Amino acid sequence: MNTPADEGNDNLRYAEYVLGVLDADARAAVAQEVQTTDEAAAAVALWQRRLMPLSDEIASVTPGAYVWVRIHDDLQLDVPVAATRTQPSKGLWNNLPLWHWLGIGASALAVALLVVIALPHRETAPAVTASAGYMVSTIQQDNGVTGWTATMDLDRARMVVVPAAPVALASGRAPELWLIPQGGKPISVGMITRDAPTTITLDSSLLAKLGPTALLAVSVEPIGGSPTGQPTGAVIAKGSISGSPDAHDHVVRVATTFNGMGDGRSV
Amino acid sequence: MSVTSPAEREELNRLLIQTGRNDQKAFAELYKRTSSKLFGVCLRMLRDRSEAEEVLQETYTTVWRRAAGFDAAKASAITWLITLSRNKAIDRLRQHREELMDDPSKLEQTVDDQPTPAAGAETSQEYGRLQHCLDALEPQQRDSVREAFFTGATYNELATRSKVPLGTMKSWIRRSLMQLRVCLEQ
Repeated sequence: MNTPADEGNDNLRYAEYVLGVLDADARAAVAQEVQTTDEAAAAVALWQRRLMPLSDEIASVTPGAYVWVRIHDDLQLDVPVAATRTQPSKGLWNNLPLWHWLGIGASALAVALLVVIALPHRETAPAVTASAGYMVSTIQQDNGVTGWTATMDLDRARMVVVPAAPVALASGRAPELWLIPQGGKPISVGMITRDAPTTITLDSSLLAKLGPTALLAVSVEPIGGSPTGQPTGAVIAKGSISGSPDAHDHVVRVATTFNGMGDGRSV
Repeated sequence: MSVTSPAEREELNRLLIQTGRNDQKAFAELYKRTSSKLFGVCLRMLRDRSEAEEVLQETYTTVWRRAAGFDAAKASAITWLITLSRNKAIDRLRQHREELMDDPSKLEQTVDDQPTPAAGAETSQEYGRLQHCLDALEPQQRDSVREAFFTGATYNELATRSKVPLGTMKSWIRRSLMQLRVCLEQ
């Protein structure tokens, strides 16, 4: 039978457990007790009620959208993965300084793989399984400054075009992206913007023409695109297309880079 | 997102109970309403975004599997959830403990840098009572209790950070806990 002094000690142990100061062994011992005796469970619950209100002080921070995707995949849920997405990828997609930093400071491949990590998708980790599935292009202006970086995700038939440095355009004009196969005529890929990432779905005929012999180019066109189906304004930037043979190594590095950047706090 | 209003607490209880009945929509809604709070808790302890995200993921997969055992008569859903995330974060910290002890510079970095409530954080009535009782403690002891709660540090780590003997730290914390119990039961 417990003496009052023992009870006091036990009670303190439960308090220490809830506060979180016990080392691994002592913690495990209390956790075990909680599972097996009602007294321990009740004492721990009481201390949780006493101390847990302190967590009111902790500011909420929005986690990356991919966390839910991973949980969803782990548990093989049937509910649509978008069920929780109130503000899709807010912290990342709308982080213009981040995109600019990446566009200027990082290789196109790094941007490519960041995009792959950041975009929620249904497949479970690792994020990149077939490294042959991506192509990238650094689209440079004539002065050598990178205007945009383009990432082609062949498996998902999409391209993400990210502006690096803002490009000056006359009012009423917009940048249009073209694919130029070797020895062929430019094919319109779509309208892009000077200040935000654009995701473009690629049809199969475009997909088939992507490769190291093709070029991407940006021309200045009326808002809404070239009226003729061919570039009508000046070509202001272009770049060749390359694959990403060592994508998997990069994905880890880029993930680390990203995780170290802005913490997306929200209160 | 507030998880402190009585109406919201009731709603979270309902969602967690529904989750325990394998209701995936309720689970998704529960995640939507509570994940940023729990992520804040994990991030404050682990201080590394990707690690906090891993712990958050573990927490919610455990929520899905254990929700049937939730009893609203014993604890509110938000207390249950925060406790679960804290336990997982502390377990993770203990795994790293040796590595941290090998590198004192890292220990220094883990000192909590948010000694006051976050601006805009909404607090409950229970928080008000606890705060009142914490205010009655000696400042150094109060700081140690807060540091322990927010960072998940062991007695050893707390003593190292505060540069006091281990025995001193233990008696500070134990005395504080006993005082808090008496104060909260008044």
